[in-house]
Amino acid sequence: MLGAEVTFDVALPKVVWGWLVSTNMWAKSIATGSFLLGLYFIKKYPEQDNFFRKWLPIVGLIFIGITLLVTVLDLHHMFRFWKIFAFAHFTSAVTLGAWVVSGFVVILLLAFWSWVSGNKKLLDKIMVPGFILAFFSTIYTAGIMGQATAREVWVFPAEMISMLLSATLAGSAAYLLIDAIYGNVLKENIRRELGYILFGSAGLMAAMFIGELIFAKMHSEFAHEVIKVLAFGEVAPFFWGGMFLAFIVPMVLVGIANEQRKYQYAFLGALSAIAGLWLIKHAWLIAPQTLPLS
Amino acid sequence: MRLGFLVDLSRCMGCMACAVSCKAENDVPLHSWRLRVKYIDQGEYPDTKRHFVPLRCNHCDNAPCERICPVSALHYLPNGIVNVDHDRCIGCASCMMACPYNAIYIDPLTNSADKCTYCAHRIEVGLMPACVVACPTHANIFGDLDDPESEISKYLREHRDVMVRKPELNTKPKHFYVRGSTVALDPLASERPEGFTLFTEVKFLDHIGGH
Repeated sequence: MLGAEVTFDVALPKVVWGWLVSTNMWAKSIATGSFLLGLYFIKKYPEQDNFFRKWLPIVGLIFIGITLLVTVLDLHHMFRFWKIFAFAHFTSAVTLGAWVVSGFVVILLLAFWSWVSGNKKLLDKIMVPGFILAFFSTIYTAGIMGQATAREVWVFPAEMISMLLSATLAGSAAYLLIDAIYGNVLKENIRRELGYILFGSAGLMAAMFIGELIFAKMHSEFAHEVIKVLAFGEVAPFFWGGMFLAFIVPMVLVGIANEQRKYQYAFLGALSAIAGLWLIKHAWLIAPQTLPLS
Repeated sequence: MRLGFLVDLSRCMGCMACAVSCKAENDVPLHSWRLRVKYIDQGEYPDTKRHFVPLRCNHCDNAPCERICPVSALHYLPNGIVNVDHDRCIGCASCMMACPYNAIYIDPLTNSADKCTYCAHRIEVGLMPACVVACPTHANIFGDLDDPESEISKYLREHRDVMVRKPELNTKPKHFYVRGSTVALDPLASERPEGFTLFTEVKFLDHIGGH
């Protein structure tokens, strides 16, 4: 007997989580990435820590604000958001994420107050809990995706690494943009190090996505079908646009900037990385939702 | 007590009585389904076959929807049913993302997640689920999996071709099929082209819930 075809069925839901969730992941990468890298540069270059002590909380609060806004907007009962705290179910990565991000917001507010008041010791005291909360704020979405059993292409350990690389890519790009906008206020060695972080993050993330393209078919039939949608289907423009803008363009431009000391290229590369990151996150989110589950 | 379902696909004739009775019993709104029957046509004339597949919540012992729900709106009842608390639901749709069986929907009127509850309200007063009562061929067999003398337990013992959907995901469904096939139970084993077919328009919904 040859092939089979569905000839009668109800209309099924397709995209359950759309652009609001893509934006959530994108904005959270910027917020947590700028925090984690900010801490690193404050510790490594105390002579120029004022830049990071100022922009770490500002970038963090703006983008974690966007994250929380789109998260609440995406709820079908947005005014019941408080129930996640009142009736917390801690087996859920969604619940864990809500609590961790709430803690991260408190840390960001304290970091902001530390900068406004000039009390550097305050930020120094909250660095360790801040690092822990920012780290887990970065990866909890990977937990949610891992718990989304239906979408077999989202596998927890790989998603976790991908989320961390998204954060370092977005954080380094954000600082390069701010540095360029304010007229290259950072010392050259810091700017170059930011460029290397962006270059490395982009290269590793690109390798992960290319790896998925090649090897996902070994994981499951569903993953294999998802990869076809990703590479050739309806989300292919987002995926390849994201690959180009988030990884290839930044690696080339930041490479030129660091090698030839033409840092205007780093600005363009950072801008491209930020835009491309949204595209690739969106493609990765949507592709598994285009296949029927039943 | 662990309540479970079994569908003998050799008895199902695709009459939709189960789907209609479910809608009527549970006031399921338009464009939403707790139980549906999918037709799959296989082969090429004259060597053809039509599969009828009733699909509903599998009430898994290891339910991904229950695990991912951030507020425990999806929860287990002592009899093994995975139930929904509509007032608790925040509408995050995580359960829809987690359920590998596409069994959960966001009700467009209440904006809360909803699904088959094995008619928990009927079971509570000693009645059978509406779909079991409506089925003219007794293709739906419902009962206690822990009771060796229940019809479902005997059926499971007596048939060697018992299948569940997506066993590889380790969700441990309490919804079984006998005389099924991969074509009937694996959504990727058949094409699902969008557009008008022999009976109806096969398509995806543009929106979920009242959003």
